[in-house]
Amino acid sequence: MHILLIEDDINAARYVIKGLRESGHVVDHASDGEMGLDMTLSSSFDVIVIDRMLPKIDGLSLIIKLREENIRTPILILSALGEVDEKVKGLKAGADDYLAKPFSFSELLARIEVLHRRTNPETEETFLKVGNLSMNLLSREVHRSNIKIDLQPREFRLLEFLMRRSNQVVTRTMLLEGVWEYHFDPQTNVIDVHISRLRSKIDKPFNENQMLFTERGAGYALRSND
Amino acid sequence: MINLFRLTSFRLIFIYTILLVISVFLIAFYLHLSTSRDLKNRVDEDTIKESKMLISVYQRGGVNRLARSIAQLSQIPNANLYALRNNKNDIIAGNFNDKESLWNLKRLDDGWVSFSSIRNQESINQSLPPKEKFFRGKEFILQGSYNLIIGRDVSNEVYLWKRFLTNIISATFFVLILGLFGGYVLSRNILNRISAINRTSIEIMDGDLSQRLPVGLIDDELNQLSANLNLMLDRLNKLMIGMKDVSDNIAHDLRTPLNKIRTNLEVTLMSNPTSENYKNSIQEVIQDIDIVINTFNSLLAISRVESGSLSLDKEKIDINKMLENVIDLWEPLAEEREIILINQCDQDVQLEGNRNLLSQAISNLIDNAIKYGPNGNKINVGAKLEKDNVILWISDNGPGIPDSDKERVLERFTRLDISRNTQGTGLGLSLVNSSIKFHKGSISLLDSNPNGLIVKLELPKIN
Repeated sequence: MHILLIEDDINAARYVIKGLRESGHVVDHASDGEMGLDMTLSSSFDVIVIDRMLPKIDGLSLIIKLREENIRTPILILSALGEVDEKVKGLKAGADDYLAKPFSFSELLARIEVLHRRTNPETEETFLKVGNLSMNLLSREVHRSNIKIDLQPREFRLLEFLMRRSNQVVTRTMLLEGVWEYHFDPQTNVIDVHISRLRSKIDKPFNENQMLFTERGAGYALRSND
Repeated sequence: MINLFRLTSFRLIFIYTILLVISVFLIAFYLHLSTSRDLKNRVDEDTIKESKMLISVYQRGGVNRLARSIAQLSQIPNANLYALRNNKNDIIAGNFNDKESLWNLKRLDDGWVSFSSIRNQESINQSLPPKEKFFRGKEFILQGSYNLIIGRDVSNEVYLWKRFLTNIISATFFVLILGLFGGYVLSRNILNRISAINRTSIEIMDGDLSQRLPVGLIDDELNQLSANLNLMLDRLNKLMIGMKDVSDNIAHDLRTPLNKIRTNLEVTLMSNPTSENYKNSIQEVIQDIDIVINTFNSLLAISRVESGSLSLDKEKIDINKMLENVIDLWEPLAEEREIILINQCDQDVQLEGNRNLLSQAISNLIDNAIKYGPNGNKINVGAKLEKDNVILWISDNGPGIPDSDKERVLERFTRLDISRNTQGTGLGLSLVNSSIKFHKGSISLLDSNPNGLIVKLELPKIN
């Protein structure tokens, strides 16, 4: 994946670049808004990561400019402000996701990968399939190997979220934001319990390969079993 | 010597004194002018009446009859002044005999004449030196070249006016002196008090926060100001102590996980590790560091909410739906411990507030109730409307909180003995507290019967 990082803090940039390269991505770096704009106009990227506070052109204005230039590349905005209202501003300007500083690298990586895959975000799809697990969004039925699985509404939404991002790491924060619409972290890891419940329904009864994994220190991933 | 004009009080008093003097002067001047004009008009009328009478006497009886009439009139006590002159300017009749003074009589704009004399004295008291007298009168030219002047002694009025002028000037002077002196005395008093306040302020700035401004017995503005400043200092002092406690606690609370991380890494290094060992250790370390980061995040969240630096959106929240959502998040965890979560919320309870903050507050309270309560606990969560307030409650039959700790638990980093062995930052309730403050509500911790805790939140419906 070809990623452009527009970030003026050299130290933060260096460690993000190192991490992304270790994960097998190609990373370009711009240290101010103007340079970032030039680079996005001259070559194409899969994902652009933009810091909210930038010299010359600030993050929000840069995003608005890019969208005006009809550049549809998924954008993740980073900010030290880290509040819900700031997030709304970022998304309104045209960003696709928002991450508050300080963040863990795994969180950033997970979000970048999800952004890249989500070419058609939350489309009108009515049928999701991961391995032999299938979900019908109209009849709200879930099957694995043609056996029907009964899920409670919340479990259904959780599974839907995971299936739309299959084979990718999904963090706890992403689940809280996406499924519960909460922008805070409960002190106790409640999400773990939800995941293990879901696992007991979609994995346990089937003598097949496990699908729902816990990635230590990072999050969870639903992987196709074939 | 202090520069008096630098003092507001003195400047004010000075300006007021000047204004007072000017207004007194104007009032007196106006009064004098209007009364003297009245008097003059009355006298002038009398003079004109008499002149008409005398002129008709002259027309009927000639100059001799006129001279006789004038002589008669002169006999009356307080008589007017008469001077009948022939064409040689000799006074041939009347009670005025200073003919030189008549040579330079002044003709006034209003058709009257004025003159003065020091010789025409019909004085009662001869021992006094002769005093200049002033007259006002009218001059009539009679056919046959006679000239009649009828006048009136106006010396009293002239002298009165002169005395009035000297008096008003000396009075002004006196008032000025008195005003300045009063201003000085009053300002000295205020200055002394302000100096005391200044001295104390400097001591406080130098670091002695225990100093307080002097407050007198009288409930005036300065004392009120001092009392309020003292209250402000009390509050600041309390905040300072709070800050100090918080930073001590941060240091203490962060040392624990950092020590753990250090030990973990040291042990890993010592034990001839395989790459699998390394991986495990690193993962454990990441988890421990996450705890530290969480603590920082919570602290930041609390201080952001408390300082109000956060421009948080407010929206209409359906409380029942919000509680359903939070319960939904915690239910699986509760069920694992056979804890029942019950929603007792009334329908249609609405509140204007920040959904995220309130959800987090309720979430923290449920978290606590699950964490510190026994297995098989029953946790009730509910809300109802009471006048303009929404009452929210979370009750459990866990161990409760002793009365002596109830105030303390809302402070940052307070962890009661009972919670020593559970994971937590000691910030959960502080965040609830600041979130409730943000919504201008109140929080109370009550005992449940026979045991357990009821957390009652009272929030205004509209912020």
